[in-house]
Amino acid sequence: MGLANSQIMLDELHEKVVHGLVSVIITIKDQKDYLQQLDDDLHAGLREIDDPFEVIYVDDGSTDGSWLTLQQLARKSENRRVIKLRTAFGESSALQAAMEIARGQRIIYCTSRVRANSRDFGRLLKQLANADVVVGLRHPRRDSGFNQWISKAFNAITNHATKLHLHDVNSGVFAVRRQVLENVPFYGALNSFLPVLAHRQGFRIVEEPIEQLRGHFDTSLHPKDYVRRFLDLISVIFLSKYSKKPLHFLGFGGMVFALIGAFIDIYLFFYRLFGFGGIAGRPMLLLGTVLLVIGLQMIAIGLLGEMIIFTHARQIHEYNIEEIIN
Amino acid sequence: MRNEIDQIAPYLSVIVPFYNEVESIEKLWQTLFVSLEKLEKPYEVIFVDDGSRDGTRDIMRNLANEYKQLRIILFRANFGQSAAMAAGFEAARGEIVVAMDGDLQNDPDDVGRIVAKLEEGYDVVSGWRKDRQDKVISRKIPSKIANYIICSLTDVKLHDTGCSLKAFRGELLHRIALYGEFHRFIPALLRMEGARITEMPVKHHARLFGVSKYNISRTFRVIMDLTTIRMLMKHLHNPLSFFALFSVLTGVCGWITAFIGAQQLFSGSPHVDTLNISIIMTMLLWSASFMFIALGLVGKLIVSSGERRSFSLDYEKYGH
Repeated sequence: MGLANSQIMLDELHEKVVHGLVSVIITIKDQKDYLQQLDDDLHAGLREIDDPFEVIYVDDGSTDGSWLTLQQLARKSENRRVIKLRTAFGESSALQAAMEIARGQRIIYCTSRVRANSRDFGRLLKQLANADVVVGLRHPRRDSGFNQWISKAFNAITNHATKLHLHDVNSGVFAVRRQVLENVPFYGALNSFLPVLAHRQGFRIVEEPIEQLRGHFDTSLHPKDYVRRFLDLISVIFLSKYSKKPLHFLGFGGMVFALIGAFIDIYLFFYRLFGFGGIAGRPMLLLGTVLLVIGLQMIAIGLLGEMIIFTHARQIHEYNIEEIIN
Repeated sequence: MRNEIDQIAPYLSVIVPFYNEVESIEKLWQTLFVSLEKLEKPYEVIFVDDGSRDGTRDIMRNLANEYKQLRIILFRANFGQSAAMAAGFEAARGEIVVAMDGDLQNDPDDVGRIVAKLEEGYDVVSGWRKDRQDKVISRKIPSKIANYIICSLTDVKLHDTGCSLKAFRGELLHRIALYGEFHRFIPALLRMEGARITEMPVKHHARLFGVSKYNISRTFRVIMDLTTIRMLMKHLHNPLSFFALFSVLTGVCGWITAFIGAQQLFSGSPHVDTLNISIIMTMLLWSASFMFIALGLVGKLIVSSGERRSFSLDYEKYGH
């Protein structure tokens, strides 16, 4: 399971952690012209925080020469570190990759797409003193009205499904204790759903408003990202709720389908038996039978899922321990 | 006594999961402490708190600071009883592990007796609330029915699988992993490892504090888990045979409808309705049949790629 692997990966890193250090992780995708300004702004903002920091730029497979600029930046000082993914793997993978080299006890994550004002990072860290995750709440927002509307709907669904009360779940900016990232299962889409996953593990989540700078490029998401994000939401909810019990989910769906199908078929059987007329031409016969077959298949797939979990049960840790005495 | 406990591994570990039991925890510890001291064997008690919000945790911390035999594990949030027991089992160092409820329904005096029963040469001893202090209609009868179904499906012969007071041989317990809601099926899971299981009548007290919850969604989940356990017990070693059974069933039905269709077709004056129905049915049944075979093969793949050992050694035979 990916979960176990990530755990091992993070355990190895544990020795490298530097006390008090803050790691600022910035994901970059095709933003060559903006990088210099981003770096200047960032360091201007970070100078205001008292703790030592390192900045990790992750190039998510840019094709516009961003990497060259990043390499130049990295030469400027020791605390600028850069890594490049071989191709575009997405922001979530970029964050994971950066976590592999990050040495900070506290992590600030920010996607460059959002253009958050780095002067607000100090406040995020301050909030982190009495919380485990601080989610940036974009205010005022600079993305398109349509984007904001979609985002609102998305937040409403997420909050409803997870019993969280956040206004901007996937703002793309958050500060988090390292311990949280080590305890949260990596389902992918981590950048968007860290608050959700951390919440399920019992960590404390708070919000802090963060200013979004006016940029010369669009900070909105591409329409295809909406679809992807929605699928991410479904998978995060499914995985965090049913990943250990696939049959609870598939068995229920399968049973409903199979019962409806069986009911339809029985009705048609008697309809034909008592001579009310032919049934072969009726779409209901097809519907009933298909439902019956699909229902049974869902149950079978659920059982298969249970088999997967059971054979890997040793790697499963469903709990998160806060304290042990004696 | 205390120093001894720090140095040597305890003989007996008692695991008690808690969730919002502020009224009963202190009393439970006092009675448990008294009856365990009487045994005169090194022991440890592990209290696992499953994210209580009612002050259970504070009492636990105080008790743990006072008594070194008491180890406590506090969860960050509510992860369910299986998770709590899994954490307790994992932390347990004893040769014998006893699990019991935190709501005073079990009698701590029974711990010694159940351990003695285990020492007779069993791997699992399950408590049997012979004289149950519950309402007949709402608790006893549903529980009897559930027990009958669970026992006949999981190949475990017990009168009361729902009783929380159970004793286990530690090394066997460490071979199983509890997750989801499998805490209800620990004897069945251990049965898969070849455990010798027996039962022993224990005392039962009426619930003093809190209410127990019963609901339809839980019943459904238990049925699903039971299906899973049954399937795992019977077919984990060869999932293909399990799915092949369904494949053959649907396949044979498909042949029957195909035969009916063919009969109609060659009869000279086919009954159109019957012919069409049989064509539809044959197609769907055969595709289902192929799907089941495919799933069986995937199942085979899953089991062979897993790390689970398919056998269990007898503890007496390899020397401990």
